[in-house]
Amino acid sequence: MPALLINGQRVDAADGATILDAARAAEIDLPTLCWYPKLPTVGNCRICVVSVEGEDKLLPACAATVAEGMRVETESAAALDARRGVLQMLLERYPADHLINGGRAEPRNEFEEYVVRYGVTPRAVAAHELSLRQGDERPGDPMISHDMSLCILCTRCVRACEDIQVVGVLDVAYRGEGAQIVVGADGDPDKAACTWCGECVRVCPTGAIFEVMPRERFGESRVAADRVVRSICPYCGVGCQIDLHVKDNEIARVTSPTFEETTPNDGSTCVKGRFGYDFTQHRDRLTKPLIRKGWVRRGGRWIWEGATGAARRGGPWQSMTEEGRGDKPAAPPRAIGKRIRDLSLLERITADVRDRATTPETWYQPFREATWDEALELVTQELTRIHADHGPDAMAVFQSAKCSNEENYLLQRLFRGAFGTNNVDHCTRLCHSTSVSAMQDALNTAAASGSMREVEEACDVIFIAGANTTETHPVFGVSLKRAHERGAFLIVADPRRTELAARADVHLQMQPGTDVALLNAMLQHILAEGLENWSFIETRTHDFDTVRKAVQPYTPERAAAITGIPAELIRAAAERYARGPNTTTIWAMGLTQHLTGHDMVTSLLNLILATGMIGRWGAAMMPVRGQNNVQGSSDMGAIPFAFPDYQAVADPANRDKFARVWGVDPKTMSLVPGLTVTEMAREGSPVKALYIMGENPIISDPDIAHAEAWFRTIEFLVVQDMFLTETARYGDVILPAASFAEKTGTFVNTERRIQLSEQAIDPPGQARADWEILVDLSNRIGIKSPFSSPADVMEEIREVAPAWAGVTYARLRGGGLQYPVPHDDHPGTAFLFADRFPTADGRALFHAVEYADPGELPDDEYPFVMNTGRMLYHWHTGTMTRRSRGLDAREPVATVEVHPDDAAELGLADGDMAKITSRRNSIVISVRMSDRVARRQIFVPFHFREAAANLLTNPVLEPHAKMAALKVTAVRLEPATVPATA
Amino acid sequence: MKATGAYEPIFAGERRKRLDDVFTCYPTKRAALLPALWIVQQTHGWISDEAMTEVGQVLGVTAAYVKGVVTFYTMYHQHPVGRHFIQVCTTTPCNLCGAEGVVEAILEHTGCGDLGATSADGRFTVIEVECLGACGFPTAVMVDDDFIEGVTVDGVPELLGRYP
Repeated sequence: MPALLINGQRVDAADGATILDAARAAEIDLPTLCWYPKLPTVGNCRICVVSVEGEDKLLPACAATVAEGMRVETESAAALDARRGVLQMLLERYPADHLINGGRAEPRNEFEEYVVRYGVTPRAVAAHELSLRQGDERPGDPMISHDMSLCILCTRCVRACEDIQVVGVLDVAYRGEGAQIVVGADGDPDKAACTWCGECVRVCPTGAIFEVMPRERFGESRVAADRVVRSICPYCGVGCQIDLHVKDNEIARVTSPTFEETTPNDGSTCVKGRFGYDFTQHRDRLTKPLIRKGWVRRGGRWIWEGATGAARRGGPWQSMTEEGRGDKPAAPPRAIGKRIRDLSLLERITADVRDRATTPETWYQPFREATWDEALELVTQELTRIHADHGPDAMAVFQSAKCSNEENYLLQRLFRGAFGTNNVDHCTRLCHSTSVSAMQDALNTAAASGSMREVEEACDVIFIAGANTTETHPVFGVSLKRAHERGAFLIVADPRRTELAARADVHLQMQPGTDVALLNAMLQHILAEGLENWSFIETRTHDFDTVRKAVQPYTPERAAAITGIPAELIRAAAERYARGPNTTTIWAMGLTQHLTGHDMVTSLLNLILATGMIGRWGAAMMPVRGQNNVQGSSDMGAIPFAFPDYQAVADPANRDKFARVWGVDPKTMSLVPGLTVTEMAREGSPVKALYIMGENPIISDPDIAHAEAWFRTIEFLVVQDMFLTETARYGDVILPAASFAEKTGTFVNTERRIQLSEQAIDPPGQARADWEILVDLSNRIGIKSPFSSPADVMEEIREVAPAWAGVTYARLRGGGLQYPVPHDDHPGTAFLFADRFPTADGRALFHAVEYADPGELPDDEYPFVMNTGRMLYHWHTGTMTRRSRGLDAREPVATVEVHPDDAAELGLADGDMAKITSRRNSIVISVRMSDRVARRQIFVPFHFREAAANLLTNPVLEPHAKMAALKVTAVRLEPATVPATA
Repeated sequence: MKATGAYEPIFAGERRKRLDDVFTCYPTKRAALLPALWIVQQTHGWISDEAMTEVGQVLGVTAAYVKGVVTFYTMYHQHPVGRHFIQVCTTTPCNLCGAEGVVEAILEHTGCGDLGATSADGRFTVIEVECLGACGFPTAVMVDDDFIEGVTVDGVPELLGRYP
């Protein structure tokens, strides 16, 4: 460790550190422009030059390595003079009118701050010999725009795009006096594969690359935020930390925290995190409780005097089926690959396209605005009455993977404690429920074993099964790309040629739903080659012999016949997987949302265990969780079989413990696991009163025409949401909830990291934070809830959840804590299972599984296989993203991906309307030709109400976890006969 | 600049084979960028934005990077040029010996009118270049890949006649 003197101060630097590293570590300020943390050093701006004794020239601190005994002066006259020279030269091409008062007042960006700090005066414009810089400008772009006259060619954006995001949209062209930043070859970010992540915006030191939204709202001057509040991105399970800049009680912009903190995102975000925040300020936000007209209060009680029968929950809207089959606008040009600059500006996109996504005026008609007192009184009365009349089985709750741990804890506490029911579930059912059931069987765990950081840093082979990570978990997806760039071997098993599949070293492009055959064959080949990890199998597992026998018949040739993958590729993938040395296994909905989802995950776990690819830094088992708090909701007991921290409801000791803490009689609580989401909302379900917090099952459930019909028949429905969603429109009472930015709470990301999100702005109107509503309601119903803040709730959580015992709000600030955190001094757990599994004897269990076909197979009448999933710019049922202007502008209408050869056969072209028909229903949707899908397969995102993919999906349930088979639906595709409006 | 009409990929069939041969001469595909761009220019006469994107895809580099390279070298054309591309040396020795007259004669006889412009029949584009390295034999001229020394004003019509 060399020691040096900087400005006379002794500084100990790490080996290989630069002078800048050493200075920063010692908190000695040095100006930088082209240098940026985590980016490759180029040393081209020379503003960080310093004097070093014995050197006859100034050295760039960012590029000069420290040496023992070095004496550095950062503020020498020569260095200051050189810095002024650099700034003077840059100012020669900088628009003088951008500097307020010649740069003396209100510096508007990092560069201008240096101009002020070093007292540089720009020369008169007339004296400038060179014109202002130019560059590609992204005109009409809804999120990112350029004013390249401000560019100082530091190339931070180029390196951020290339080296952090691994995309490479930007580069320097026309080198020489006309050097400028270009976007792709022709200025079109779309063609250059831009993902609109905004990393370029983040790193730009002059605002030459900027976000459109704040500038539109606040003008060109720099927005001085009233305050900056740390929050957690409300979208996927990566759990990026973000900073909300608040101006006049509005979110003015989103930035990401500095790179120097340990956060899951290291300062990056994706497009949703950086630009998808304006839904919080959308005109559709509910601001007062709503009560369905027909409920009247007489003699101290609420009585239903409205229509009965089918009309009871009617409204002036089309059913999902009608809307799905109906006439609709075709995809606008951008969606079919035209240049974005050829498009009309966002303002000129027809109101029709955008308003279909928002709440139509007519939806409010069946409701009247009410006071909180009225609304909660009605909810209390009806829930209590139905419980008394029909018993605990008639009560049910859909909790929310979008709400905080505290809120999910309170809601299951209310239903389990007050109503004695375990009919408590949330969207994990349609997400990783099969992973949880398989992992519980094999390892008695329900979460990822490792951390995202270890995958990027330490794994040698990455095996991704059924996860489109770059679109669904973009920030993690990018770290996978960086891992691949540094040399990790990438194997992707996916029926679609996703971005990662296209860059993979081996892409196993299988027939949908044939994963068990593939994974069994990989294990068969590993055993045939003797590549299994015997010591791991012998010391850490049981029952390997059953699996060894079961996989014997699955030769690569046999698997090739089933999956359509060449046997050679299966062998190659198996060998690389087993040879590691450290292989990380990642999976998501492509494996879980199948009729055989539990078996698929089990066969994958067999592969992990037989090769011992778990419990080492770099060998992680990573089911990537979808929602920002789907892990935490499960952890908080929003599942039918367990109390918080996976303590079984069937165990009387657990029941007694929770009854004591909640102050209820244990005998009133149920020992029987409850119904799942997929069982509650279907014909024959015993549920009569349903409470939904922040979920929208009428878009997310399978076969939603039937789900919708069921919702019309329910006796009492409460929906707590930010918007009047497709589901909420059938409610009796709608409670307006706060958005993520309007409340404080904790969330758990996909690597078990509990993080704190703090309130930034006030909720609109009378909307209240979910936890406040639940505390109020619990007290009214009779479950004592003496909580005055989410932190109070956390105190109770850590009392009942052993893995959370050491979690406090004070400890969560910063990087958060990865549970288990068993006591106050415990630092959290980055990776699990180094020595033992959490089973009774510490060993994992193998379970043999056989391949079974995925249920609904294509035939002559329904020759295509439909796959459903998500796209980068939208989120689940679209409630938030379709109300975020930038995101919705990128993907304004529903599209189906069709292979170009299939499209040609059917006479379909980009933008044409097609009709997709399954055995249950049909939708009309716009065609997007894409070779990401294989022949005879189509892909439909499920975000769009007007062409809801889940009208078509199969409601058959996976037997272990009651998961729906959302990934395989046999369909027919044909040109639509409904004339499309342009 | 964008190509007009529908874009036909360049690296198919015979040209793809040529590129694959080029790849064998270099350690990485990226390193074959300059020869790949030559193949494009020999095929189309110039390098369009679309071609840059295709080269990027084929070589596994970004389109923006390809553009950076294309715009760095003056010998890659970013606009369509005539069937024959004429470069006249006008650096000091050639200039002293009458290169400017040669330029004028070529502009006149080709009908190009201006430097950088293409003749109406699409046959020629003429530019001035810095030293072609034949200072002992002025005026030095390159027509396409042919190197011609000692060009005089009188010799221009005959010279052009060789390039129909």
